[in-house]
Order: sequence, then C-alpha cells, then structure tokens
Amino acid sequence: MENQIKSIIIFLVLSLYSWDLCAQNTSIKGKVVDSKNVGLSGVSVSTATPYRQLTATDDNGNFTVSVPANATLLFKSVGFDDVRFTVKAGQTNINITLTSSDSDIGEVVVRGYATRSKQLNTGSSTIITRDEVQDVPVGLEQLLQGKVPGMNIQVNTGAPGFRGTTQIRGLSSIAVSGSGDQSFLQPTSPLYVIDGVPLDADRASEFGFEQQGPGVSPLSMIPQEDIESIEILKDAQATALYGSLAAYGVIIITTKRGKSEVPRVRYTHNSFIQTPPKLRETLGGNLERWMKIQQIINNAEFESQIDQISQIPHLADSLNAYFNNSTDWQNLYYRTTYNQSHNLNIDGGNEKLAYKANIGYLNQQGIIRNTGFERYSANLRMDYNPDRKFKFVGQVFAQLGKQNKGDGLGILQSGVANGGESSTLLPPPSFYSSSTSYLSSINTRNDNNVRLIKPFIEASYEVLTGLRVSTTLSYEFVSSTEDTFTPAAANNQFSQVYSFSGRETQLYSRNAINYSKSFNDKHNIFFNFFNEIRDVTRLNTITRQARTPNDQFEGPLGFDGYSSRGGGISGFADEKSLSFAFGGSYDYMKRYVLDLSYRMDGSSRNGFENLYTTNPAIGMRWNAHNETWAEDLSWLSLASLRMSWGVNVMPNSTLDRIYGRYVLNGSYNNLIGIGIDYDLIPNPNLKPTTSSQYNLGLDFSFLNNRIDIVYDTYYKEVTNLLFDAFLNNTTGFNKLQSNDAAITNFGHELAVTVRPLRPTSNLKWTISVNGAYNKDILTQLPSHYSGQFVRFDPDNNGQHNIFRVGTSTLSNYLLINKGVYANDSDVPVDPNTGLRYRMANGEFFQAGDPIWEDRNGDYILDDRDYMRTGNSQPLFTGGAYTNLMYKQWGLTINASYTAVRTILNNALARRLNLMNNPLGQGGDNKVYVPLDDVNVWLKPGDQATYPYPYDYSRSGRVSPFRYDQTLWAEDGSYFKINSLILSYNFDKDVVRRFGLQQFRMYVSTENVITFSKYSGPNPEAVTSMGRDLSSGYPVPRTYNLGFNIEF
Amino acid sequence: MQHIVNIRNKTYWSKSLVFGSIIALSLSSCQKMYNLPEDKDFISENINYSSKEFYPILGRTNVMGSINLDNSTLPLKFEIINSRYGDGRPATDLFQVKPTYTWIDMYDGEEKSLEEIERKRVKVDRPLLEVDSAGRFILHYTATNDLIEPRPTDSTTLTQDVRFFDLKITNSGGVRYVNDFVFIPWRQRDYEPNNDINPYTGGIAPDPLSPRDPNRRDYIIPTYMENIVGEVSNIPLVNNTLKKDVVVYIRRFEPGPGNKLRFVFLDKNQNPIDPAKFNETRWENLVHGFNMTKTAEYVQYDVAYPIPLTNYPTFYTDNGNAKAQFSYSRIGFGGTRSTSIFRLNFRIFQEGNWEIVFHFRNENPRFADEQ
Repeated sequence: MENQIKSIIIFLVLSLYSWDLCAQNTSIKGKVVDSKNVGLSGVSVSTATPYRQLTATDDNGNFTVSVPANATLLFKSVGFDDVRFTVKAGQTNINITLTSSDSDIGEVVVRGYATRSKQLNTGSSTIITRDEVQDVPVGLEQLLQGKVPGMNIQVNTGAPGFRGTTQIRGLSSIAVSGSGDQSFLQPTSPLYVIDGVPLDADRASEFGFEQQGPGVSPLSMIPQEDIESIEILKDAQATALYGSLAAYGVIIITTKRGKSEVPRVRYTHNSFIQTPPKLRETLGGNLERWMKIQQIINNAEFESQIDQISQIPHLADSLNAYFNNSTDWQNLYYRTTYNQSHNLNIDGGNEKLAYKANIGYLNQQGIIRNTGFERYSANLRMDYNPDRKFKFVGQVFAQLGKQNKGDGLGILQSGVANGGESSTLLPPPSFYSSSTSYLSSINTRNDNNVRLIKPFIEASYEVLTGLRVSTTLSYEFVSSTEDTFTPAAANNQFSQVYSFSGRETQLYSRNAINYSKSFNDKHNIFFNFFNEIRDVTRLNTITRQARTPNDQFEGPLGFDGYSSRGGGISGFADEKSLSFAFGGSYDYMKRYVLDLSYRMDGSSRNGFENLYTTNPAIGMRWNAHNETWAEDLSWLSLASLRMSWGVNVMPNSTLDRIYGRYVLNGSYNNLIGIGIDYDLIPNPNLKPTTSSQYNLGLDFSFLNNRIDIVYDTYYKEVTNLLFDAFLNNTTGFNKLQSNDAAITNFGHELAVTVRPLRPTSNLKWTISVNGAYNKDILTQLPSHYSGQFVRFDPDNNGQHNIFRVGTSTLSNYLLINKGVYANDSDVPVDPNTGLRYRMANGEFFQAGDPIWEDRNGDYILDDRDYMRTGNSQPLFTGGAYTNLMYKQWGLTINASYTAVRTILNNALARRLNLMNNPLGQGGDNKVYVPLDDVNVWLKPGDQATYPYPYDYSRSGRVSPFRYDQTLWAEDGSYFKINSLILSYNFDKDVVRRFGLQQFRMYVSTENVITFSKYSGPNPEAVTSMGRDLSSGYPVPRTYNLGFNIEF
Repeated sequence: MQHIVNIRNKTYWSKSLVFGSIIALSLSSCQKMYNLPEDKDFISENINYSSKEFYPILGRTNVMGSINLDNSTLPLKFEIINSRYGDGRPATDLFQVKPTYTWIDMYDGEEKSLEEIERKRVKVDRPLLEVDSAGRFILHYTATNDLIEPRPTDSTTLTQDVRFFDLKITNSGGVRYVNDFVFIPWRQRDYEPNNDINPYTGGIAPDPLSPRDPNRRDYIIPTYMENIVGEVSNIPLVNNTLKKDVVVYIRRFEPGPGNKLRFVFLDKNQNPIDPAKFNETRWENLVHGFNMTKTAEYVQYDVAYPIPLTNYPTFYTDNGNAKAQFSYSRIGFGGTRSTSIFRLNFRIFQEGNWEIVFHFRNENPRFADEQ
C-alpha cells in the first residue's frame, strides 16, 4: 500500500515536470550480481540510447535510476561482459547477472590495425580516454603532456598552430643543425595513426626552425572534441607492425563514432583569453638616459669615451622631442588575446548503420601581434554493418588551417625579440615615424593556408567463422601555401615577396586477412596478415623576389636576375612503398600469451641494395591472475608479466644522400654553370637506422582495480644513426653522411592510479601519478673519430656540443665558470712567468671578472679550456593527474614535471649583454634593464654569481657574458600545473525542461603555474638542445570558459 | 569482499612473496647489466706538437712547444721519458734539480723595495727542464752552460751531440706517446740585445760587414737616438751599418752574484762622462731599482734580476723589455731649448753586478749651450 502511494506521488510529480518530448521517467531499483550471485559494486549503469552514464552500484550491488519507460539500460564493469536491458513499462525492480568476460581489462588495444584485448597485449602501451583531453582549448600535444610515462612532451613554443617536441623513450637522433641559440635536434616525432591511416607528423618541421611553408602542425588540425581515445605504443613489439615509420613510437588516435539510436547533437563552445607571460623589466625614459650616462662616466677607460656622450643625441640632447620618450616597446609587440572555438558533433544510428559528423572552428590569436591560427575542420563518418559478416566504413576528413607568422618563422620571432629591446627613448610608432623592425613585425602580411582533404573507406567481410578479410583505401591531399609580403617601409624602402606553394598527396591502401580460432576453449590462436601500399608525392616550390616595384603591386612578378633571391624546388618526394606484415598470437587459457610478428617494408627510397627492410618482433605475457592458484588471492585483481623484443628499421636515404647533388655554381661566359656540390659525397651504401628494443613490463591491479600499477623497463638500441663524417680534404669532398653512430636508451616507467574512495561514495576521486627515467648513452661514433666528436658551433660565440662514447649523448662543451673574482689578488699567478691568469688576447683578469677554470693550467684562457658538461636531455619526466567528482561538480588538475636536465639560460645572457654598449646608436641603441634581481659583482670583495656588467670598455676584450660558459647552465627541473578544470553538470531533470539532454559548464586555465629553481622566464620554453631561446615565442597562459550542450 | 582471507595461511604468504620477488628482480636491471661503453676520458690519437724541435737559449726561462690536444679530456698527465743522446747514451743532465724562483704573487712594478719584490717569489727546487700540465716544456733560467752542454762551438749538430726525448701523455682514456723531441740548446747569452755575442762560441761577434776581419767587431747600439750632436762637428751623431757613433756594452763590472745595475757613459777617450750632464734624465724612475747612488762616473741601483722581472707591462718596460731613457737639454740656436734623447730597451737574464755602458766612440756629445 505504501509502495503504491509512493508510486502515485512519484507519478504525479513526474507528470508535472515532464512536459517535454521525453517519455515519463520511472524510478527503477535493482541489483547487479555475478554468476555466483554475489553483489557487484561499482558497476556503471547508463542509458544505451542516447549513451549517458547514470550511476554506479553500491557495495552490495544495488542501484537506483530514474529513466523513461522502455529505455535500454547498459551495465558495464571491468572484467565482465556488457549487459543491455530494456525496461518494460511498469517494471520497477530488476536483477542483472553479469558474466565474467574474456578480458579482465575491458579495454582493447589496436595492434597492426587489428583490435585485440588488452589482456593479451604483450607490448607496452598507454591509453588516454577522451575525458582526459577535453575542456582546455589548446593543442593536442599540450594535453597529452605528463599523462604517459615515457613520452616526453615539452611545450616549448606558444606559437599558435605549432607544436612542441615529443619524444617517446628518449633520444633517437643525434643530428644537430643550425647554430647558436637556434641549434636544434632533428625532430623525431612518433608516427600518428589517425583512424587507421598513418600520418607523418614531422613533415611540417623537417627544416627545424627555419620552416619553409606554413609549418602548421598536422596535430593542430584535429579538434580535441572529436577524439574518442588515444593510444601510445612505446615498445618495439607494439610498433613493429607499423614498420619503418614507427621507429620513434606510435600514437593511435581514434575519433568518435556514431553510437546513439536517437540522434544526438552536441555543441561545445570555448571562449578563452590568452595572456603573455611576465615581460622583461626595463627602465624607461629619462631614467634610461641618466643610467646610461652614469655607466659611461663611471666605467670609462679613456676620456674620449666620456666626450662621446656629447656626440650622442639621445643622451646629450634631452630636450629633443624626438628622443624625449618613454616607449614600452614590448607592449607594442605583445598582447592579451580573446579567442573562441566552436564544435558541433552530430551522431546517431544503431548497430547496423551509424553516422557521425563533427564540424569545428577555432580562432586563436597569437600573443605576439600579427600572428595567429584559424582552423576549420569537418570529419564525417559512416559505419554500416548490415549483418555480422559485412562491415563498411566511409569517412571524410576536411581541414583548413590558416596561420599568420608575422615576419618571424613561427617558432622564432627574432624581429620581435630585437625590436622589443629598442631604447625607450625612441619615439613610438606613429604616422610619420616608426622603426623598421616594428613595421616589419606588424605590417608584414603573412598568409599561410593548409588545406587537407582525406577520404577513407574500409570494407570487411567474414568469409568463414573467425576469418575476416578487409580492405582499406585512403587518399590524402594537402595543399600548403604561404605568401609573405613585406612593405617597403619595413624593408629599407623596398618591398619584397616570398611565396611558397606545396602539394602533397598520399595514396594509402591496406588489405588484411584476420583469423581467430579457439580450440577446446583453451588454446586460442589469432593471425593477422596484411599488406600496405603507400604512394607519397610532394612538391614544394618557392619564389623569393626582393625589390619589387611598390607596395601596391604584389604580382604577378617577372624574373629579375639581380633582385631574385632564388627559390625553385625546395622539397620533392615521390615515394612508393609496399609492405607485408604478419602477426600471430597464441594463448593458453589467457594465461600464457605468445606474439610473433614480422613486417617487411619496401620503399623506393631504400635504394636497390636493400630494397626491403625487415621488422621482426616477439612478445610474451603471463597472466598470473588467471592461474587457478591465484584465485584465492582476493586482493589481486590483475597481475601480468610482459616481455618483448622487436626491431624497427628506418631508411635514411634521400635522393641527394645517395646520388649527390648538382648546384648552380656561378656563371662563366655569361652562362650559368651547373656543377657537383662538393659538400656532400654520395653514399650509396647508406644503411637504414635500426632501433631494437627489449621491454619488460609488469601490470598489477589490486583491491578490485582501486590500485593500478603499470611498470615497464626497457633497453633500446638505435644503431646506424646518421652522422656527418668530415673527410680529408684530399678527397675533394667535405663530408660523408655515414651510418656509424649509435645510441642506447634504457629506463624505467611507472604509472600508479589510485581510487582511494569506495565506488559507491558520492565523492569520486582518482589520483594518477606517473614517472619515467630515461638515460641515453652514446655507444658508437664513426671509427676515425676514435670515440669523440666536438661539434663546434658555427656561431662565433656559440655553445658547442660534444659527443663522447660512453656518456650522455648531447652534452655541452663549455668553459667552466666558478664564480667571480672578488678581488684582484684572487686571480691566480703563473709561477713560471709571474703573470696573472689572462685571456688569450693578453687581457689580465681582475676583480669582477668571471672565474673560468683553467683546465690545462697554462694560465691562459683559450679554447683548450672547454670541458664536457651537462646533459641537455632530461632524466626524469612524468606527470600527475587528479580528478574529483562530487555530485554535479568536477575538478580536474593535470600536472607534469621534468627533472635533472641542464638548460642554458641564454635569455639572461642576452639581457646582461644589453649592458655592454651604453654608447650604442641606431640599431645598437638598446634598453637599459634593471639588474636588481641578479647577483652581480659591484665592488671589490663582493661574492657574486655574475660578473661586473657595466664595464663596457673591457667587455669587448674579456666578454664576461660570453655564451659558451657554464654560468648559464642551470638545472631545468620544473613542476608545472598544466591545467585546472572546474565543471558543473546541470541537473538532468532541470535541463530537460529546456529541451536539452545535457548542459555542462566549465572554467579552466592552462599553463597555470610552473615551480622551478630556474632563474630564467620558463624552464620549459627551451629548445630540444636545452637552450633558452630569448627570441622564441613565449608560451601564454590560457583562461577559458566553456560549455557543452547536448540536444 | 566475497572471500574471507586467512592471512595466517602459509600459501597465501608464499604466493604473495612470488610477486614481490618478481618486482624486485625487474627493478634490479641496471646500467652494468647492459654492458655499455664506460664513461672515460677521451685521449686523441692525433695529439701532436706543431714543432718537435727545440732550440732554446740557455740561462733564461724558455716556454716551448705548442700542443694540439685535439680536444682530449683534461687534465692530462705529461711525463718526459727516454731522454737520450742520438747515440743512445742517456741524457740526464736536463733534469738536474736546482732552486728556482717561482712566483707566488704578481709583480706589477709598484713595489717599493727589493724586499717587497722578494716576498712575491720563492725559490723552489725544480728540474732544469720540465713539462707542465698544459704540455708546455719549460727550460728554467737555472739551466746554464755549466749544467747543460750547449751545441758545439764549431756549429756542427752531429747526432751523438743531440738530445732526444719522448713524451708520455695519460688520462683515464689511455696513453699516447709523442716521440723523438729534439733538443739542441744555444749557449747562454745573458742579455738582450746581444748582437755583440757570437752565438756559437760565446765570444765577440764579428762585424757583419766584414765577418772575417778579426780586428773588427759588432756593437750593440741604443734603441733610439734623437738630436744628439757632436761636440766638434756639430752634426748629429748617427748609428747605421757603416758608422756607429754611440755603442753599448752590457757587461759585469764584478764577477759572481750580485744585485747591482750601473749605468756608465764613456767619451771617445773612454773616460767617464758625469751622469749629471744628462740633466733631463729621470734617474729615480730609470729602472725599477732602489738605493740609487749617483757619482761622477756612474749611476747605480739595487735591482732584482732578471730585468725585467716578468712580461707584465709596467712603467719601466716597453713591450717586454726594460726601458732606460736618458736625455739632456741645452740652449740651441736662436735661444730655443734643444732636448736630446737616447734610449736602450734591454733585458738581463742572470743575476750579477751588471753595468750598461754607453760609449760615444767617435765624438763626444755636445752639452754646451749655443752662444
């Protein structure tokens, strides 16, 4: 009777409120049990159509939900098969029995384009679900930072549309190019496989900083709202089936599928503010003038230097209106920006036919003026499964990225860096006066477009039970253009034009046969055989013309031999590759698993000597928790031991490495001569880089999955690395690209996830911490270097690198700084000559000069006193993640850390060097920066860290702030709060009244705070060589307000 | 929890132990297990010297050898080994140990007394020839003709008279040898300029114009002369290849050790000229010396040898040499004051009581005012 009254009341209440399209809700109680009739806790209960999580069962397996009649409920729990249950009208109490599933971990992994149960996976991989990459409108790589042990992501540029560096399991390349601050390591990004099609993410950045063309990162083109899951494959067993492109790891991105019978429309909006980091402090206006005059007078060596003041108008003529300013130049270049993104996701369908459309728009203005990124994307997908045998997928990606790099190169903004250092006495830009660098940064019109379209179809058919054949075809077309027009005022009164046009196509096809069979429910086998065909073409052309007629006429332009700055074909590829791969797997009662795989990659780039490279792999796994004797260990949910070995072979060949190159080498008799390029001798015997890796992994799960531990240790040997071997000049050639370098990485990775509260608690709390230790050792160099090669920086005052076998690969080769001489008498005296320690040019050191270690003891500082020091690669990387859910509230904090890494604070070096020319005029007329925060030597007896900065007379002879010293070497360890997300999910019953299924609001900030002992601006914004690039693009902080609406 | 676990159950613990040991086993993997190349110093096979033949002058400190380390890791240990004559006899004379001045503080020319200078250097026992941590060979000034036999006076260099030695270079990366350094010393020349000494014999150098004439000799001349006119001829005194009016002798006025330096001026008859006649000379700052005694025949100082003490540029030096400048003035024609200057830049390497004699060989200088 009481129940009936309750039902009636509920009925009445519900009828009052349910005036929308939805059916009336019924309250349903129930219990979920396992096959032994024991209540199961923590089973997720959701509606199947549309998919929406409702609740989870309590300790005894009981649950209560409120759903419309005839709704289909979906019960899910780790280790059990999913159960669907349709509520009949009037039913209020249901009992559900879950049967133990084959996979104790419900997750699946993708191996060689085939889906496998994670329990049978012998390799090492980490899965990131969509929830972990939402709610923060920044690039995908930024969102992955600190989430995967062993994947070292450094967000070292804030340039919109560009990406930082990603390394999986340490260093895979030792090719260093460029000079000075701008030295960079050849990028070795992992292979990205997006919905089953591989994508080479390095293609936009193969020229390092000096990108030709737009340089839009392919990853920036994928809207995060469209991501279903991301899997990162780390060891060679996992990657071997992806062949040669996968030598640096594989990241598999799966976009969302349609899965709701009632069509769902989900709209996500983000409005975000990006603010520049704290800028350099400067002294402005008259203060700058007086500080400079004071410096000149106090430190003059000759009277003529003091007399010079009167010849410098901006110092002497304080009444001159032109020089009577206090201009904040940095403020003219940097700004706070307001940006937005929109994403619309429509999906629907049933098990037979499902469809999805995702349409996105992102507009991100750069914090440096005249830079920015805009993205339009569409991803349409259709899954058709008329019966269990036949499956068909059709998908189209279309993306348009528009980018503005200003007059910089994207990551590098040298013009802005120089312009921001201009003297504050100079007048701000105005109608009649302006500085060239300012005009160049602001008025250069840079228009970059990347247009990508990629149709994709896949069909598969199950010929016999367990035997499935499938075929996949995709064609990707990318068109990249860049047009830069520099107006005359910004370029010494002559306008100029740069134009880049690139076109790239990839035809990709895969045909596969899968077979799985189980014998007596004990022996299970799985075979996967597939081939891949890739046909990649690329053609990039450049036109550069200086001194074009005027600002109004931008083209078409004719050729002018005097003003043409060259161009022509800058990138060309025509690669055809054919691969065969075979993977076989056997397991006994899911306890003992053996994986074997073998892949052959043939490529037209390999050269005829070794057309096919081979990638074998073997993996084993022992699932101890499936052993009968482990059944009574109730605290143990999962215990597995994984072992694997595999090889990835990556060809190094390019046309010019194998065949040499012809270049224009001047003219003779009015004819342009074409001759051999004597820089690089052709090497037809170039071998492919081989990366072989051993992995040992342990997976544990305790107390009903409330504690998860994944541990991996690996040993990765990369041999046949490219290394320039300089040749004896009698050969006529300068260098040979040899294959004789090798490095070894080994390390440990640990990820721990803890859910400290009971699954039934209102408060849900997940803490996840991970860390990786990676050490790289150089094991081989070309033999004639006998174990060491010093890469002297081509820059005059550069920072050198040393490669020595047996040590960490990328060490610096610098002068060792041990402080500052407090007094003249502290300078050591040569007992033989009676002379003080001195520079090679004879300048004796004195108080206030840096103490550079005299390594060879000859009391002369010269290039023999360099020493191997530091390691630019971090030893420890990792992150932490915590998620708190209380009723409708959610709080997520992501953090990442990097530890034990040497970085060179070139930003500080540059700042201190600003002091060495107070007499500078024109382009050398720089700001005066306060040095109160820097421990500099000022008077005899001072125990300081940094030398005396104001002695402009001697600075040319002593160079106290030279770059090639350990004074700038600092520990680059940091702990960064990446993001902070607070969300509120409005009550379903309330939002339903407005015709919505869901309404969720969130606020988030990104790049929240970095804790570090580093004295420079940001220990993360350093190059892959660990150099703080003062001309880099600073990483902004993002404040975001966003919401999801679901109809 | 479905099952009640009896934690006293033995198998429960033993099974749990299995897992513990698996974890411990896998964590124990370390660098040594992988058998990677060790982190050791680099020592290049291309370490070499730009020249391996040394021709030092005895009796003065020589720093010799320019090594190309080819970026070998420092510090390196250098060791001279296998020192021998060309015919195989061991050559041990190079390594005789003598007390040698070494600097402990910097000499800067500001010292106010000899004692202050001596406080900045101490005598330490050092071998005559040694190699320092930078791979430079240092032949100390203590290596004199008596201790090291110089090259033969007849100007031959026969193999049996030539010393050879090898150099052993070590760091943790290994050992390299640089072999067959050649050591052929010149005999002592205790001062500069020394064009009046025959470098082979140590005797008087012949006149370059007629080298075979035993009656003629070469002379040191002042570094600079300006406006010195002859007393009788009233034309400027000159020094050139044909005619040398003012010459210099640098010689010991007393044998044996000492710390005096004397300046003497002789007229054409070898009679001393009163130094007071050089009336514009700054005698107090002529050299870095003390206790000046000025007589009608000479000016004498107490000094510290060698002169100059170091290469450090001081008030008393000019480009690594001591600088002694003398000048006098008189009233010239038409009542103008005419100043005359002569200067000698010199070095003296060995201790002793030295005198520097300026000899007006052909004609005396004119000191008298014009009427």
